[in-house]
Amino acid sequence: MLSEGYHNAFRANLVKAVIELRRYLPNTISMVVTFYVIFLFLLFGVRFVAAPGGSEDAVRYLIVSNGFWFLLMMTVNSMGWELTTEALRGTLEQLYLGTVPAWLILLFRMVATLVINVVILALVTLLSMVTAGTWLQVDVASLAALLPPTLLAAIGLSYAVAGLTIVFKQVNAFLQLSQFVLMAIAYVPLAQVPLLELAPTAKGIDMVRQVTAEGVALSSFTTADWVSLWVSGAAYFALGLLAFKLLERRAMRLGLLGHY
Amino acid sequence: MPEPSLIEVREVRKSYRGPGGAVVTAGDGVTFDVARGEVLGLLGHNGAGKTTTIKMTCGLVHPDSGSVRVAGHDTRTDRRGAVRHVSAVLEGNRNLYWRLSVLENLVYFAGNRGRSPADVWRRADALLERFGLAEKRHEVVAKLSRGMQQKLAIAVALLADTDVVVLDEPTLGLDVETSHEVRALLRGVADEGRTVVLSTHDMPVVEELCRRVVVVAGGRVVTDALVSDLLNLFRSRAFRVTLESPLPTADMARLGSRYQVAPTDDTTFDVELAEAGELYSLMDDLRDAGAEVSGIERTTPRFEEVFRRLVQEGGKPPQDQPAALRKEAVVAL
Repeated sequence: MLSEGYHNAFRANLVKAVIELRRYLPNTISMVVTFYVIFLFLLFGVRFVAAPGGSEDAVRYLIVSNGFWFLLMMTVNSMGWELTTEALRGTLEQLYLGTVPAWLILLFRMVATLVINVVILALVTLLSMVTAGTWLQVDVASLAALLPPTLLAAIGLSYAVAGLTIVFKQVNAFLQLSQFVLMAIAYVPLAQVPLLELAPTAKGIDMVRQVTAEGVALSSFTTADWVSLWVSGAAYFALGLLAFKLLERRAMRLGLLGHY
Repeated sequence: MPEPSLIEVREVRKSYRGPGGAVVTAGDGVTFDVARGEVLGLLGHNGAGKTTTIKMTCGLVHPDSGSVRVAGHDTRTDRRGAVRHVSAVLEGNRNLYWRLSVLENLVYFAGNRGRSPADVWRRADALLERFGLAEKRHEVVAKLSRGMQQKLAIAVALLADTDVVVLDEPTLGLDVETSHEVRALLRGVADEGRTVVLSTHDMPVVEELCRRVVVVAGGRVVTDALVSDLLNLFRSRAFRVTLESPLPTADMARLGSRYQVAPTDDTTFDVELAEAGELYSLMDDLRDAGAEVSGIERTTPRFEEVFRRLVQEGGKPPQDQPAALRKEAVVAL
């Protein structure tokens, strides 16, 4: 793999993401502010409207769910936005002229985006905790064990969205609608809707919530929990990638791989 | 044994569903070869199918039937193998990231081909110097002139070090001076021995750079010939006539109704005849008009005119040419 120079492609995409983050700084700042404001509104709702004087558990639950909603939206929409932007710029065809496959370039970009988003998320979460005066149990080791399989499913969804973007181009309405579906996945607890466990990322988010908001130890999870987490993550990743490859092939057959 | 062609396009058919559901034919049995080191012009009016052909060569569009092979790799079944040998400038200055600098663009695109930044930095100096971009290496692309952006897009393609460089409209939208500079750069690329496939409406570029042209119309190859042969072919029908004194306007108008006449000054005009034999009837007409001819010479038509006539005549060569030359000019009708 490395002999193909994939590590150079990974580095190139990581560097590009950081440079663009810096050069599009106003966009980045407005994104952070937007999520923080959304959190403030939700906090206001919990504290003063839905459950006046409600428990700190509810606030912690809110912080974690809001954070995941942010991460899910960024991740799931990421590849679709990337391809739309590339197509509008006129650089999409160039991506397909590299020797590194486009799906892998998108994955490299996704990893770069995730690294950046996790840093932003940590910042927003910190701000949220300070504002709410409530503190989460941030156990880095537990997060490191739970996030990869959770995000694997989200990346799978992102591939599927990217495939749809290449063929149908105008997927903005779909992406806006998906925000609400992702909100449901991020906010609704599995205990209330057990069937939601089949939804992508839902199991992982629920486990992270238990660890950070309820203080559950990682060792308390059963083998079935871990199997469900990893199988779901791997299955959604594989299905998403498969959908992307099929739709990409369709785009090449129909001559749709180009600018919009 | 002759070396096999670097690009082989065989009986390629491609159609799209256009607006309103109408079927648009972009390829209808397109067949041609490109030899290693050759500079080929792929010509045709808008909608003729040349961009589709170029995209199929780059593996970006799959043919409905037929095959496109680059260095022996089928662009449909072994896309990555084929793409390894091809770099392209398809959208001109839009092929770049405008918020990245000149150097950052070079490093990024080379990275997607597995190249290390160190490798790019090592080669970038000479490349940017050659393209007149050395001073602008840290400038973001958005701040460059269109000509510089275009040059950078070509530099990015060259840095890939591929056997084939595909250029779609490399001089589109450039002013005369920049177009001339880009043309000189492309001449250098051709002189390096790279195989270049060039699609353009800029006929002086074709005349200067291409050894051979393939003319596409309605998704079919109507002409596949050497540029020099095509110019010779049409040269035999083009003459410059010089008269002793100006011809009265009415007589000149009469001539214009019978022949393709373009006056160059009061006593000289260029004429393009349907066949060389028509020269005798032109002389008769001039004599009847009382004109005294002081000189007549064959002229070399501009390639632009040759192209226009080829497309107008559906690729048919003049009937008064030797059969061998006609055969070379027309591969498919």
